[in-house]
Parts: sequence; structure tokens; C-alpha cells
Amino acid sequence: MNAVHNQVLVVDLSTGQTKPFPIPQEVSSLLLGGAGLAAWLLLHFAPPRVDPWAPENPFIVATGPFIGTGITTASKLAIATTSPQTGFIGDSLTSSYLALVLRRTGFDALVILGQAPRWSVLVVENHQAYLRPADDLLGQDPEATAAALRNELGRDVRVAAIGRAGERLVRYAAVVNDGRLAGRTGPGAVLGAKRLKAIAVRGTGRFPPVANPAGVTAAARRLAARSLGPETAKYRELGTVANLAFFSRLGVLPTRNFQAGSFPAAEALAGEYLTLHQRADRQACAACTVGCEHHFRTTDAGPEVTVRLEYETLFALGSLCGIEDPNTVLRAAALCDYYGMDAISAGGTVAWAMECVERGIPLPGDPADWPRFGDGLSLLRTLEAIGERRGPLGDLLAEGSRRAAEIVGQGSQAWAMHVKGLELPGYHPKNLRAMALGFAITPRGACHNRTSAYEVDFSEQAGNPFEQLARATAQSEDRAAILDTLPICKFLRHCFDDFFVEAAELVRLVTGLPFDANELQRTGERIVTLKKLFNLRQGWTRADDTLPDRLLGPDGIEPAELETLIAAYYRIRGWTPDGQVPATRLHDLGLASLLVHAPSGS
Amino acid sequence: MTVKATRYAVELYGVPAVLVGKRRIEIEAAVQTLGDLAWALLRACPQLAGPVLDPELGWLQRGYVFVVNARFTREPTTPLSPGSEVLLVAAQAGG
Repeated sequence: MNAVHNQVLVVDLSTGQTKPFPIPQEVSSLLLGGAGLAAWLLLHFAPPRVDPWAPENPFIVATGPFIGTGITTASKLAIATTSPQTGFIGDSLTSSYLALVLRRTGFDALVILGQAPRWSVLVVENHQAYLRPADDLLGQDPEATAAALRNELGRDVRVAAIGRAGERLVRYAAVVNDGRLAGRTGPGAVLGAKRLKAIAVRGTGRFPPVANPAGVTAAARRLAARSLGPETAKYRELGTVANLAFFSRLGVLPTRNFQAGSFPAAEALAGEYLTLHQRADRQACAACTVGCEHHFRTTDAGPEVTVRLEYETLFALGSLCGIEDPNTVLRAAALCDYYGMDAISAGGTVAWAMECVERGIPLPGDPADWPRFGDGLSLLRTLEAIGERRGPLGDLLAEGSRRAAEIVGQGSQAWAMHVKGLELPGYHPKNLRAMALGFAITPRGACHNRTSAYEVDFSEQAGNPFEQLARATAQSEDRAAILDTLPICKFLRHCFDDFFVEAAELVRLVTGLPFDANELQRTGERIVTLKKLFNLRQGWTRADDTLPDRLLGPDGIEPAELETLIAAYYRIRGWTPDGQVPATRLHDLGLASLLVHAPSGS
Repeated sequence: MTVKATRYAVELYGVPAVLVGKRRIEIEAAVQTLGDLAWALLRACPQLAGPVLDPELGWLQRGYVFVVNARFTREPTTPLSPGSEVLLVAAQAGG
């Protein structure tokens, strides 16, 4: 296979030792790289039932074969570890220059094991790696940390860092690089547990050669041209904040902790309004022609803040918390960036606390400090408390909504809006049947990106029978796995007439492997199955594939309907009715020989 | 058969809303189908010609979709009747 180094760098933080690990050829050809490689490395290096906080929990950073080929939007990294939020697979993506330099070190991935004896920075310089003490960086935000390290090590070094939230083991802490956050499932907390403040990478080698350079160049040019068409205009012109007003109109905008699907003040937070009145600039990740990253500035009397804003941040810190003021949302988003926290889980956890207060359920700490729906100052104060794990309230909410509800009790689990411990993103599943299924079954927990199943609901397929909805959801999940593996940004997916056919052609040109559309889709299914296998090994049970109580009934989906959808999904995957993966299915997918530690139940 | 002119409201979201500068526009036209309404929309809002509506075809560019009475559609033969709720938006691909 072309376009791979076939080598991983394994770092043991406990001893400071490093060693190369050869990637079996079968792994590269069956999984390609990116999210697929990361999932396999996690399965390979993690002991069964690993504790997320344990030194044995691997932290994986993996590149994909398209990085550095000139294919637009391919500068992405896949992260995999055991999530402190879910105890299951924690996989996140991040983008930009770090992917390019890591690719040029001569390694396809980093596997970080152990726990450093003292706070450290892992410095990777091509084939060498060492630990640098990080005492001088403690307490600094991710951006300042990266600036300090680049100042010291050189401008060609790229940095992924954690903020104070990661240092303090906030369970939804993010890893931040080049202004992008890998936040979902809390990878920054795992780095914090390893006492690793940052990873600094200098790669000056060559990208691994592709199979057909002229063909790749021509195909990359065609894709770049299509990336500038109407399919991506939304991202270029407004960014994802364009979703908010439309979602409110459809009744799928989570509002006041999912108590409603429309926000009366949606126009005040609308992406169209923000674009016209508060936009500062637009930027792009490395090697991206789309440029979806829109920055907005505050316009109130306080100190000016300029921050990147996405729909998910806007809903989670806006309508979900009943906040009507866009300036408050921007300040809250900036706080999440400063502390290095996933905004969806931060907003979801604060919204849970707000509903506790609304219902008269006492929280720890001074009642004057409790967050309340619509109270912007209380939102900002609470985010600071979480990021610092300050006081009993900050400490409680740093645990996320599931654990906080278990601690507080008094029925508050009923409005802890998570799946498997991961807070729901900005799609109220009432009337979104495929998305409801996607939230329930995705291995990482409630996630919109790993299935993109809302696309099925937002299409002419929405009224299809359940079996067809489940099949479309599974196919969408396979496609997402491939996009995360090659990698290509999901915002390009509408630029393909037939994704699997055209992406398979790109794979042939880059890798030289004889992929067709069917094989590529099977590869997607393999990757989804690997993630599922990891969860099985971690103790997943059928009861984990469900939705929060609030969404099981007239305000979401009837339990019997969800059960029917899940049963259809398992059937389509070739799994047993209780969600186990039979050994025959592993053989069918060519996975049996790749697994060292067989999951129990398979 | 002569079709009587009827008033239709179209709600715009995302790029169409920014181009036109309004959330909602009203069009009075003799319309039977969504395809007819797209032509009428093109005449009423020339800002949409090119980025959102193909001026030659009188129909949506790739990446856009209508929502008619809560159903997503890119089918120009979709029948309309007075009182139909019509939304125009970018096809959803994540956030």
C-alpha cells in the first residue's frame, strides 16, 4: 500500500522510552488509516476493561493516507482513547497543520502510554522523541502553551495542548491545536491524567509517495473546484451557525435542556444575524479550500472578545441554556476555548444544573452561584468554576451530566441529557427518527458526526419504513467512518455524486489498492465494528444503546419505535439481537485475524 | 386551464436569507407546483439567481432544498396549494 509509512511511534511516558511499532500490512490495507487505524491501535494496545484514568489507557493520534496529497480538506487527525465520560471508545477528530507535520515525521501515528512522573511536554522531532518538563506551562491556556513552545522550539513546530480543564481532569476537557478542538469524549482529560501538557511535533521529512501522482493531482484539482460550488456555500458564507434559526423553525433546536425544540429568541442568535452584525473574519484549516471557520466579535460594552463559533457551540451555550444574548454566547465560547473544554458537554451539563435549580433541587455550594436558565452571568461564572474545578459546584459539574445526576439524585437523572455519558449535540430527536437511532447506537455516545443520520431525516427519505431508515443510518455511519479515515472533511460529502464510487477512485490513486465502492463501504463497516468491539470489551451491554428518559415518549420517540429501529440496525449489521458481534461476522469482514484481545461475547 | 394567481409565503434560511436580506418574502403568482414557485421566486428575488437558483433551469442548485409542509424535497413536480408552507434552505450537512 502506498501513502503510508507503515510505522507507529510508541511512547511510554512512565519511562520516557520510545520505540517504533510496525503496522501489519493487513491492517493498513483493511483499515487504510485515520480513524480506522486509531481504533485498531486502541484495541491492540489497551488492556481489556481499561480504566480511562489508568496509565495503561493508550492515547492514539493517527494520520490518514490522504494527508499531504493535495486533496482538499485532508489535513485531519484521528484521536482515540478510552473516554473518561463514557468508559467506551473516545474518538475525536481535529484538523490543520499538526496533521501535516506529524505525517512528515515518518510515522503514521503516535501511541502514548503510561503516565509521566512529572508534568511534561512530548516533543517529537522526526524520528526522535523526548519529554520536556512542563512546570513553566502549567495553568496556561492551550493557545499560550502552543505559542510558548513554538517560540522555544521553532515556528515549524506544531502543538496540541490542554488547558486548565485538562490539567484538572474535567471529564470533557479538549485537546487543542491550531485553534481547533478535539473535545468530544474528553481526550484532554486523558492527557491530563498522563500529566502531558502538550505534544509538540516537528516533521521535516517527505510525505509517503502516492501510487499515481499525476492521477492524484488531477483528481485533487477536480475536488477542489467542486469544493467551491453551491454545495459548500453555507459553510463559506455563514458557517454552521446558519443552522440555528432553521432548526428552531423545524422544532429540532434543543432549548432549555431539551424541554423544547424551538427557541423564541432564535432570531437574536441566528447565524444570519451574527454574520451581518458580528462577524470578524473567516479562516480555513491547512490545505482546505472551503474555509468554514467564522470568527465573531462581541459588540457589547465589555472587553472585546473574538472567537470561532460553530452551530454546536451556539446552541449549547445559547438556546440550551436559555441564553438570548449573542455576546454572552461568544464570551462563553471563549471561556470553553480558554479552559480547553468541549462546549457541547459543558453546555449540556450546565443546562442540567439549570433545570435542577428550576425544579428546586439543591446543588452544592452557595445558591447565589447556581446557574439559571437565561442568566448569562451565571452561565459564565459556572463555566469558570468548571474549568477550574472551583468549589463544590465546579467540581460536581466537571464530572459531566451523567455523574453529576448520579451524585445529586432526586430524580435528576431524568433530565441528564446524555447517551453513554456523552451529552447530546444540537438535534432534538423529536420527529428525527434516524437521528434518534444514531444517538442511541453510536459507539462514542450521543453524536451527530459519527452517523450524520439527521441527513436522512432532513431528506425525502424521512417518511420511509423503519427498516429503510436503519439501513440508511448504517450506510451513513459507514460513510462517516471512511471520511474520518482517509480523511476528508464531512463538509465535502455533498460534493460527490456517488460518494463511495468517487472516493474509491481516490483511494486507488493514492494507495494503489484495488478498492471499489463495495470494498470501501465494507471498510467503513469494519471501522464501525472495531469501535463496537472495543465497547464490548469495556463491558457494553444492550441497555447502553438508548436515549435519555425525557426523549422516550411523546417528547422524543416512543420506546417501542426506538426498539424496532435498534433491532433493525443490529440485523443490518449482522449482530445478534442483543447487540453482540458474532465471530462469523468478524470473519466476513476480515477482522478476526486483526484482533489480539478478543472481546468477551464475540 | 388558467391558474389563478395566489399569494405564497416563502421563508428563507442561511445563504438565501442573507442574499435577499429578508427571512420571509411573499409572492403572488399563478403556481401549481414547486417548480412553478421556483420560477416565480427567481423573478421576485434576482439575488438568488446563480448561487441558489439556476437561472437557466429555474430550479435549485445542488446543495439547496425546499421544505414543503415539513417535508424536504427537491422534486419540482411537488404540488402546492394555497396555504402551503414553503421554506428554502441549504441541504443540511453538519454542524
